[in-house]
Amino acid sequence: MKNKPEQRLKYYVTGFYLLLLAAWQIGFSLNLTHDYLFPSPAAVAQRLWELAVGGMLWPSIKATLYRMAIGFFISAGAGLLIGLFMGVSRIINGCLKSLFLGLQTLPTAAWVPISLLLFGLSDHGIYFVIVMSSIAAIAIATSDGILHIPPLYLRAARTLGTPTYAMPFTVILPAALPRIVNGIKLGWTLGWHGAVSAELIKSSVGLGFLLYMGRELNDASQVLGIMVLTILFGLLLDRFLFGLIEKRIRIRRGLERSE
Amino acid sequence: MDNTHQPTGGPNHKPPGNVKVRLAGVTKTFRNASQRIDTLLPVNLDVYEGECTVLFGPSGCGKSTLLNLIAGFEDATSGEITLDGKPVHGPGNDRLMMFQEHALFPWLNVIENVAYGLRWERAYRFRWRARREKAMELIRMVHLEEFAKSAVHELSGGMKQRVALARALAPDPQVLLIDEPFPALDALVRAKLYIELQELLVRTRKTILSVTHDPREAATLGDRVIVFTGRPGSIRADVRVDLPRPRDTNDPEVARYAARISAELESANPDEKQTGTKT
Repeated sequence: MKNKPEQRLKYYVTGFYLLLLAAWQIGFSLNLTHDYLFPSPAAVAQRLWELAVGGMLWPSIKATLYRMAIGFFISAGAGLLIGLFMGVSRIINGCLKSLFLGLQTLPTAAWVPISLLLFGLSDHGIYFVIVMSSIAAIAIATSDGILHIPPLYLRAARTLGTPTYAMPFTVILPAALPRIVNGIKLGWTLGWHGAVSAELIKSSVGLGFLLYMGRELNDASQVLGIMVLTILFGLLLDRFLFGLIEKRIRIRRGLERSE
Repeated sequence: MDNTHQPTGGPNHKPPGNVKVRLAGVTKTFRNASQRIDTLLPVNLDVYEGECTVLFGPSGCGKSTLLNLIAGFEDATSGEITLDGKPVHGPGNDRLMMFQEHALFPWLNVIENVAYGLRWERAYRFRWRARREKAMELIRMVHLEEFAKSAVHELSGGMKQRVALARALAPDPQVLLIDEPFPALDALVRAKLYIELQELLVRTRKTILSVTHDPREAATLGDRVIVFTGRPGSIRADVRVDLPRPRDTNDPEVARYAARISAELESANPDEKQTGTKT
């Protein structure tokens, strides 16, 4: 009974997507342009199905996720460490924050040419693009999280005898965790951009490669289908992996009520 | 140490124990761009072992600053603070501070909070089970055993302060510093906490140094009340409270001491109207 408004909202959201799909179908039916340039939803679904049956789709998804796993693991580890140093040292923060804010204005795809020059066509270049796309967001969120820790927690930890070497892992990082998880979520999204951008140009498998191939073959159904798939996977991991972790943390700390 | 304040005891006053904390000529001056603010005039004070000493005075008289100096969060501008004859440096759990707000860690549950400080004790290092047992013992002492696994935000204000007390006692500090005990609590909860804290005082004979601006609280908790005058702070009087424990805040004897403590303050600041309790 009590979650009735939320229930209703779900219907609205479902309705909205159905409407979107209908608009697409109507746009197609109006014959505004050639159907190979603007395919119908059914054609896109059919093309995805063909790709899946033909054994093209799953290896590509796997390849992109695998690259993300490696690149993002490196990026999160390094980003956390750099953010930690930024959080505890005013000087390091002053120097790196402006640099990272600057780097964040660079579109993720802009890292691809330099990664081609540095790494050639190997997968290392894709990891490089993922790391460079996401590390700034993670480091900045970590340092901001640390700088926003209530000083009372640090004093309490001190008076309870916490030695300096133990402060980061017993107090500083746990206290900053809600903001850090937020940064990691953002980093994941940016890393995902980077991965697909890099695959467009320099790989023979992956979601980005399927996009590229679709364009080469003048196959708009494939291009649109892979785009939808890329959005779905990015959203899925954001919502269900990081979203659930974030929610658990917030509920445990009383920042959010459990339902 | 000529001008160290000696307690003016009543007839049945026990001889004080050893000096635990000694403040010798301690001053504190804060500086900003345009001015220097003397917060404390030279303060000389001996805090005796096993006693509860209450620093009482109006807000802004520097009594909290003094507590911060002893806890090691700030350095004195001049003078020396010693614990058992050794000068203190920086914060540490030999002079453990309990804050006005509970300062419990929200990422840990109740028992983890209480056990936290034991991690840095040599006897408990790498002994997770022993830490849990000790923490549970303290949680039982503050009557919260049902809430050992609860999250901090699930507790009421009074329960949080009791957890904070248990956490502060876990590393067995030499001196417990309490900055305004239980300020944000209603009268009923406070009265109960006063009794609990006093039972603890009697049982553990812990050296406690506390700060308050409430004369009733000072008379209830203190074996000895040091009356401060404001800006810059200095010691005005040193009153020994000779009453059996546990004391009830509403006991007429306690009220009489409270009135005497307030009177000391008013005679020092005739122009400032005090809001203390009177009988």
